[in-house]
Amino acid sequence: MNPAYVALESGHVLEGRGRAPGTARGELVFTTAYTGYEESLTDPSYEEQVLTFSYPLIGNYGVREERFESDRVHPRAVLARELTDDVAAWLESEDVPAIDHLDTRDIVTDVREGGAMKCGIAVGKHATPDDAVAELERCQAMSDHTEIGEQVSVAEHAVHGEDNDGETVALIDCGVKGSIIDSLVARNATVHVFPHDASAADVDAVDPDVLFVSNGPGDPKNYPQAASLVETFVEDTPVAGICLGQQIVARALGGTTEKMTFGHRGVNQPVLDVESGQVVMTTQNHGYTVADPGSHLEVSQINVNDDTPEGLDGIEHDVITRQYHPEANPGPEDTLGFFDDVLAMATQSRNSPRAIPADD
Amino acid sequence: MSTETQTKTDGRTILLIGSGPIQIGQAAEFDYSGAQACRALQEEGARVVLVNSNPATIMTDPEMADRVYIEPITTEAIAEIIRKERPDGVIAGLGGQTGLNVTAELAEEGVLEEYDVDIMGTPLDTIYATEDRDLFRQRMEKIGQPVPRSTTISLEEGESVIELSEDDLKDRVEAAVDEVGGLPVIARTTYTLGGSGSGVVEEMDELLVRVRKGLRLSRNNEVLITESIAGWVELEYEVMRDADNSCIIICNMENIDPMGIHTGESTVVTPSQVIPDDGHQEMRTAALDVIRELGIQGGCNIQFAWHDDGTPGGEYRVVEVNPRVSRSSALASKATGYPIARVTAKVALGKRLHEIENEITGQTTAAFEPAIDYVVTKVPRWPKDKFEDVDFELGTAMKSTGEAMAIGRTFEESMLKALRSSEYDPSVDWADVSDDELETDYLETPTPDRPYAIFEAFERGYTVDDICALTGIYEWYVERFEKIADAAIAAAEGNFEEAAELGYTNQQVAAQAGADVGAVESVAPERTFKQVDTCAGEFAASTPYYYSARDALESGPSPIAHDEVQVDTDVESVVVVGGGPIRIGQGVEFDYCAVHAVHALREMGVDAHVVNNNPETVSTDYDTSDGLFFEPITAEEVADVVEATGADGVMVQFGGQTSVDIGKPLEDELERRGLACSVMGTSVEAMDLAEDRDRFNQLMDGLGIAQPEGGAAYSREEAFDLAHDLGYPVLVRPSYVLGGRAMRVVYDDDELETYIEEAVRVSPDKPILVDQFLEGAVELDVDAVSDGTDILIGGIMEHVESAGVHSGDSACMIPPRSLDADALARVREVTEDIATALETVGLLNVQLAVTGLDGGEVEVYVLEANPRSSRTVPFVSKATGVPIAKLAAKVMAGESLADLGVEEQIPDHTSIKEVVLPFDRLPGSDPRLGPEMKSTGEVMGTASTFGIAYWKAQQAASNDITGGTAVIDLDVDGFEEFFDIAEFDDVPAAIRKGEVDFVVSYDRDTLEMAVEEDIPYLSTEPSARAYLEGLQAYAGDGTGDADLEVAAVSDRPHRVAEWGR
Repeated sequence: MNPAYVALESGHVLEGRGRAPGTARGELVFTTAYTGYEESLTDPSYEEQVLTFSYPLIGNYGVREERFESDRVHPRAVLARELTDDVAAWLESEDVPAIDHLDTRDIVTDVREGGAMKCGIAVGKHATPDDAVAELERCQAMSDHTEIGEQVSVAEHAVHGEDNDGETVALIDCGVKGSIIDSLVARNATVHVFPHDASAADVDAVDPDVLFVSNGPGDPKNYPQAASLVETFVEDTPVAGICLGQQIVARALGGTTEKMTFGHRGVNQPVLDVESGQVVMTTQNHGYTVADPGSHLEVSQINVNDDTPEGLDGIEHDVITRQYHPEANPGPEDTLGFFDDVLAMATQSRNSPRAIPADD
Repeated sequence: MSTETQTKTDGRTILLIGSGPIQIGQAAEFDYSGAQACRALQEEGARVVLVNSNPATIMTDPEMADRVYIEPITTEAIAEIIRKERPDGVIAGLGGQTGLNVTAELAEEGVLEEYDVDIMGTPLDTIYATEDRDLFRQRMEKIGQPVPRSTTISLEEGESVIELSEDDLKDRVEAAVDEVGGLPVIARTTYTLGGSGSGVVEEMDELLVRVRKGLRLSRNNEVLITESIAGWVELEYEVMRDADNSCIIICNMENIDPMGIHTGESTVVTPSQVIPDDGHQEMRTAALDVIRELGIQGGCNIQFAWHDDGTPGGEYRVVEVNPRVSRSSALASKATGYPIARVTAKVALGKRLHEIENEITGQTTAAFEPAIDYVVTKVPRWPKDKFEDVDFELGTAMKSTGEAMAIGRTFEESMLKALRSSEYDPSVDWADVSDDELETDYLETPTPDRPYAIFEAFERGYTVDDICALTGIYEWYVERFEKIADAAIAAAEGNFEEAAELGYTNQQVAAQAGADVGAVESVAPERTFKQVDTCAGEFAASTPYYYSARDALESGPSPIAHDEVQVDTDVESVVVVGGGPIRIGQGVEFDYCAVHAVHALREMGVDAHVVNNNPETVSTDYDTSDGLFFEPITAEEVADVVEATGADGVMVQFGGQTSVDIGKPLEDELERRGLACSVMGTSVEAMDLAEDRDRFNQLMDGLGIAQPEGGAAYSREEAFDLAHDLGYPVLVRPSYVLGGRAMRVVYDDDELETYIEEAVRVSPDKPILVDQFLEGAVELDVDAVSDGTDILIGGIMEHVESAGVHSGDSACMIPPRSLDADALARVREVTEDIATALETVGLLNVQLAVTGLDGGEVEVYVLEANPRSSRTVPFVSKATGVPIAKLAAKVMAGESLADLGVEEQIPDHTSIKEVVLPFDRLPGSDPRLGPEMKSTGEVMGTASTFGIAYWKAQQAASNDITGGTAVIDLDVDGFEEFFDIAEFDDVPAAIRKGEVDFVVSYDRDTLEMAVEEDIPYLSTEPSARAYLEGLQAYAGDGTGDADLEVAAVSDRPHRVAEWGR
């Protein structure tokens, strides 16, 4: 097997077993999910990141396209204790460097203690520790990837569920996972997927029943056009958002966001619904969070572990968002009902349009 | 709502019902869950009343609950406890099936209603709904959950099978097969005995024959056709739900053995390895839906079958729900760190999951799903070595007595550690096994030997495909077995690294290669300890629960390695070595001893660390010790723990033979590594001496202590010479054995010949011991503690059975009743002399035989002396109130008995320990008691008279019957007072027909039938006489309502007095 190196911001260089060659750099993060590697690796929210699996054995049940969340692998590189040949071959075919035989528990501990950090990767017959360090030196901070939306969004407007006769959803694609679209289409919605920087006129042209801001990678401040769409539509059209979408909605409506130490990535994040008192398990993948929802949104759900906002409701507007991923894939299906709620909100609004926008 | 339930909590009295004796299918897991629940309930301010009949448990320790009752788990005894204690509620879901059943009976008899006792947690209706297959199927269909499809083929009114035409039959069978989704199917004839005629059928022609035959045999003219899920992957999901409907999955568990083998008999891995996320999430959701539909509160378990049908998530079926804490819950708790019993107890009190703290992280709550970053493997432990007549093909019924669990960073590591922990060694000489036999007897047929057979097959050049086809085990697993086999072959050729990396010990690799361990050590990757933290490192955790893992070869020592062992290496600390998996001869009593040692050390301010691998036990609970190391018990791995903790001492006295056996190698290993740590208490040398027959004989001779005469025979001829010198009957056994394995009394040359030829092969390196057999002697067990100067006798126990029945299988009483003061004084003297001679520091168990009690000259013979914990230690402590295991640990750590100020106690009441036998679980086994130990567990009955105490023990062991038709084959008079004594030409046939209710016999066929038909039986005269005495005390006056003298352990009277003085 090829030599393989990981250079960390702390100055250490780790050695492992090369499973897919190449060089890469990105923000070092970890997920604690032990199934769902295909879904995670194709999740656009991992763009510009190096994904470490805390579960040691990855690839046990092969690789199947029908389980992908997008058309390519998004993490810049993959780190694990042990990758199967199947998954290593797939990563190699996708030109994504991969390293295993690493003590990933040590990496997780470093990230937990030091926060998500930059790293450089070098894998190959002639790879050296210096190559990894060189990559590290060229690595940008996550928030500095100002054009990240461009890398993950559709280039052009596309329609899913054209034959459905339910609600019309205008989905702003900031790096959407396929399962979000599938979940809406399965509920009889027609989903118009727009680039993250679509114009209000383009969106208005489909006369949406709900404006839905998707998940995606990076800092929500780097999606100014998506935020502006929310501002434009919120008076007349219900708004929904998932993950980055929640952060964009919050910022658009006067809230603030902040970077977390190392974020939430896994499929076991407990979320308490404030009203019902019920706790559900959720899939999460975010490094930024809503710090203050502002005066137009209230927190409807919180993370049981650290009290960060997991769900926001509009106070005077029809807005519901989730910080976690109700569409699962990977992860628990406890919260699929969110899509029913979103579409119900859209239906209600269509049947009884808001007559008088509430005053502050 | 939730505030109301919480205020009610304070001061409520809660009755907690334990699970009784250790049996196959119900082992130590309920001691662990009960002990954890007691603590949790007390934390919430509840007053806990505990009842269990098993004295060998931690949960029955006086400090575990406010009131502890060691009483039979029967409605009669528990109703009495309810009358005395007036509990507000009863928690039934923590005492296994036993606890659940008795609670249901208490409800049916109206006791709970009469005394206004609530059933806390899961309601009874729910329990019934899971136990009744039809009801369960209906509930599942209602919520759209797939259960294995099923239909019946039946005859119309007045129709006869003979008249049924081939075409007509074929139409019906084909329709039925279509209905359940095509061939293969399981054809099951309803209401035939022993499930005969059931099986998987692949071909239509065969099915037609089967159905015709089935219709003919069936009492109600029905054949059940069920979708076959044989060969599917079997999974379990461990679920927790609170009354507010918050519901989480603690983990899932995947059986390596395909569907069709009981999960208790399967090798089980956590988390699942071969199920894609879609499939996993579908089953997770199904589990939550099912548990919500049933309304279960607390921990429970749901079983699925899954297979890859080509869809992204595969296809599943709901197989069964266990509405309570179970063996799997214990495994799930230890595998993830999630304290299922603790949370279940709190949920039963009305707490919500997010209101319960996760003690492991201290930062999170019980409302989370553990994330794990390691692989857990559980391997069962079977009593194959004990029952040569029993077929150990694994199937739908449990035969294993216990299990070992291991944690590793790869499956290979986890599996190798688990196999090592199980301490099982197949008694197969692979060289004698042909390829054909290997395939049919060891690969196709699942047995305890299968993992080893797979390694053997790879060595013979079989491919992964071959083995998948033969075993039905998933390819992913088989590939990893191949990796292990390849590495072992490479190691034998001198390439050590990979075998070590995959999880063999350096010692194993060295043995494989015939190399020096140092040579392996120099190239093997390091083992480091990692923490079990419930969250895969996402949060900092402070709970000291660890496992070791090898570094990967390529990564070498990591520059960012974190030392995860959070123990204080500067304080005085001791490593207590546990007992590994539960097996016959080494049961939960040794866990009791290990836990007491830990408690004693902590009371002294010494840090106590535990090494053990049994997931069912209290010793492997994360808050029992200062450091829990979930590891195989080998010298090398225990030495690693000593090194990591900087321990000053290690105790090997408490974990039974497992821990004693590593004494010598561990001492050597500590020395080799230059570690300043000693084996504490009685020297390893003295423990060895006690097991070395010749040296021990000499020592006894020097002390003037009598021993049955005998010697070791190194050949067939020597054995006969010895037998003739001593005169028959003689006791024969191989040297160095556990629990009297292969021990037998032989009465003549023929029997000796048979023994030598069939049971053991005598050879110069495997001698057999031939001893004078003391017929008619009274046997005794004595447990004592010595600090090197003073000796404290914990108790003297008299066996009910005479010599010839293994001491572990004999009922026994405390205090003894056949010995006069002089005899007792001699017993004390002998015990003290032996303790002194062996320089005992710690526990000492002595087995004695006393002759001449019927008028001759009294002589006390020593049969065995073991300077270590014994299986009677907990019984003695419960009967006398003197915690001898704790005292032993304290004197080993340097205290003196004088300073501890403890005194011997003699109880005024008689306590009886009765054994529980596994024959009903092991068809074909010989149910007669003999020198080979066969019992799995024990119960205790206490009362002011022998009779009532003995009867209570029979009740607790479910062997009590007061009337009906009896067959009495042994020479004991008096049963006619209670039974209609009957004689039959064919007793087994009469039992089979239900014409016999009770049997006293030594006839094997009769006893086997009694076992099969589940009627009470006795196989020895002494036990029959004791039984009669019990019957007379209990039912003698004809009213049948004798006072059972139900009392809390703390209320039973003792007096301070020295045994034998």
